[in-house]
Amino acid sequence: MAARQSDATHSESRRDFLRLAALAGASSALVPGAAGRAWAQETPKKGGTLRVGFYIEAATMDPHLSGSKIDRQVYHNIYEPLVVLDANLGIKPGLAESWQQPDPKTVVFKLRRGVKFHDGTDFNAEAVKFNFNRMKTEAKSVRKGEVASIDTVDVVDAYTVRLNLKRPDAALLATLTDRAGMMVSPKTAQERGPELERNAKGAGTGPFVFVEWVKDDHLLIRRNDNYWNKQGGPYLEQIRYRPIPDDTVKLQSLQAGEIQVMDYVQPRDVAAVKADKNVVVLDVPSLADFAYQLNHTRPPFDNKALRQAVAYSLDLEQIVKGVWLNVGVPANGPIPPTSWAYDRSIPFMKRDLAKVKAKLAEGGKAGGFTFTMTTNNIPINVQEAEVIQAQLAEAGITMKIKLVDSATLISDGNGKNFEMISYQWSGRPDPDGNTYQFYKTTPGTSLNWSGISNPQIDALLDKSRETSSQAERKKLFSQLVRILQEELPMIFIVHPIEPKAFSPRVQGYDPIPDGMMRFKDVWLK
Amino acid sequence: MGLLILRRLVATIPVLLLVTAGVFALIHLTPGDPIDAMMAESVDDSVKRELRQTLGLDRPLHLQYATWMGRLLRGDLGRSIRNQEPVIENVARRIKPSLQLAGLAMAISLLVATPIGILSAARRNSTLDRFGTSFALFGICMPNFLIALLLIFLFGVTLRWLPISGYVDPMEELWDGLRSLALPAITLGLALAAVITRTLRSSMLEALSEDYIRTARAKGLSDGAVIRRHALKNALIPVVTVLGLQLGTLIGGAVITEYVFALPGVGRLVVDAVFARDYPLVQGVVLLIAVGFILSNLMVDLLYGWIDPRIRHR
Repeated sequence: MAARQSDATHSESRRDFLRLAALAGASSALVPGAAGRAWAQETPKKGGTLRVGFYIEAATMDPHLSGSKIDRQVYHNIYEPLVVLDANLGIKPGLAESWQQPDPKTVVFKLRRGVKFHDGTDFNAEAVKFNFNRMKTEAKSVRKGEVASIDTVDVVDAYTVRLNLKRPDAALLATLTDRAGMMVSPKTAQERGPELERNAKGAGTGPFVFVEWVKDDHLLIRRNDNYWNKQGGPYLEQIRYRPIPDDTVKLQSLQAGEIQVMDYVQPRDVAAVKADKNVVVLDVPSLADFAYQLNHTRPPFDNKALRQAVAYSLDLEQIVKGVWLNVGVPANGPIPPTSWAYDRSIPFMKRDLAKVKAKLAEGGKAGGFTFTMTTNNIPINVQEAEVIQAQLAEAGITMKIKLVDSATLISDGNGKNFEMISYQWSGRPDPDGNTYQFYKTTPGTSLNWSGISNPQIDALLDKSRETSSQAERKKLFSQLVRILQEELPMIFIVHPIEPKAFSPRVQGYDPIPDGMMRFKDVWLK
Repeated sequence: MGLLILRRLVATIPVLLLVTAGVFALIHLTPGDPIDAMMAESVDDSVKRELRQTLGLDRPLHLQYATWMGRLLRGDLGRSIRNQEPVIENVARRIKPSLQLAGLAMAISLLVATPIGILSAARRNSTLDRFGTSFALFGICMPNFLIALLLIFLFGVTLRWLPISGYVDPMEELWDGLRSLALPAITLGLALAAVITRTLRSSMLEALSEDYIRTARAKGLSDGAVIRRHALKNALIPVVTVLGLQLGTLIGGAVITEYVFALPGVGRLVVDAVFARDYPLVQGVVLLIAVGFILSNLMVDLLYGWIDPRIRHR
């Protein structure tokens, strides 16, 4: 019986995954990028201004101080990391031409020659050393945790650097595909100081140069005509980013032609936008996992059986269908289907009211219990909370909802001042970024809000950092996901898809599952 | 006159003191922490601790308040935690669109409300009056965001006459600037026009029933002259009061309109600052908005004197 059930859930899970893949595939036939590739004879045109609508304003232009996802959207066009991601989350050369790992605690990068920062200075090994030191020592650096495994950086010659690690770190290369790998001109960083946060003129090496940032109005970047990579773009004359906080207005701005790209379409708008011939929608499967952390350090969820009772009460398919309108897939754990480490053979947790009853009895609360969920006061979170509340009520569990803004949510999480709390993580290319900091035993403040401390999990997480073989690491992460489903530091809900919308004039866009929009090869028809 | 202004300004000092204490207490008592909000992704506790020390956020609240007040007395509103820029610069950047929007919305509301209010009162219970009353009810009942979305749909998406969102400074590009402010100004202006129409109508009705109006009519003055010279001026005091109060609200409180139209105004600045728990910015902006309210009330009082000489002589 158990085996049959497992098979059934397995096929459900596969079906969902395939649906996601089909969705992404079907829409990619419509995407500007795909169209551009299909009509290879159509020559990209130079020029034009691409107008992009964001949901909020960028926070800072200094990648080493940035803690906001929207900043990265801009950075990936003006700065470049040492290594970059491809569409399958593989690691490709970026500012580093090649790399070697002579032993697990050493990484040697051969740097690209002939690359210049926008301020005219050379990109070289000294610049790389300066950048890593800056990330490790700058007072406001948000990158310290990401580069913590790097002990020292040696300049071997002008275009070779060696990173000496404190411990093996299999996730390091993937980490270096984003802000932690982005190189800032040492000259500009030193001369401009804190001003770099507002003005990134001359700071990057990327296909576009920073022009101006009029706070809350627009951020303008211009084509870098001296860009080192002569293959393909940049084609666009300039890109103008604008924050448009209201989703409906942003969508209408796209439909009316005021903007040509919008970073995210709300699930509720996806169907309507897909029906509009003047808009092209691209479903980009994300790296994100949306979940709820359960506080292991205090009642009621210091009781494992009660955590399991809640998990078995939830019908994830109903939540994904009813709240997320299928713009996402039910989550079996923290690792998204886009990752090489995703294990399709592990089903997501299914609703089972008989098990709930047994678990409630095992936890000493046969008559049910009451707890409070803390979540963000935004429409989709509120809807999800209400559905969960109703599902739990059917299982005999009473859930109160506490709605807070995100600053309170973060403080409540850090202070472990919650019973169950919403946690939405945008995801990282390496599975380590979706797991280690959430489940590793950590004293003090960390993203391990649940307070889980499990030697088996700790050992698996450490081993996954020390193991270099991807196949081996995948096995370790599968083991981890199974333990997480048993121990439940989090209840995993959904891996959302991040639909982006474009004007049909936009050509050559190639989506990468980290959701970042790289406009180097984009052009306007 | 000078003495009156001075007396009024001195009387604002306790109000401002209360405002500083109130806003300081409220924002600090709100759960959440600026450093947590700023460094949501960082797991490094020591970095956060260091930053809290640098910004003085680890000190007892009464000391933080004293430091802030000390700076304030020297004319320094402090710096934003988030972008490290002086609060005054943050506000300076945002005040222009807010003032322009408020001015334009007021102009639109007066243009619409004055004739409707006067005619509704002069032709009481006529079709015109019923239209005026319906218009006012509609304007008062419709939430701002709904009017905004309807206007966007009509003029931005369907007819494509006006830009949907964004801001262009009319002092730099007059035509484009006015176009960018048109829809938000109409949104705010319509709601305000509704209030003014109602106020003007009732105060006009009251004025029109006065003895001096009968005298004026008995002298053989035309309807127009009676309304213009005698009724309107006397009916203006409540309208000026409403306008004065609304000016402050329009500058600091047009948050929803600013959000919908992506206008970089003061209302959005303060809401974003609250979400980021940017204490100095919230405190500074709220204080400046309070000063704005006080000044607009003072202006209203001075206008009373101009409109009604009896008040001036009192």
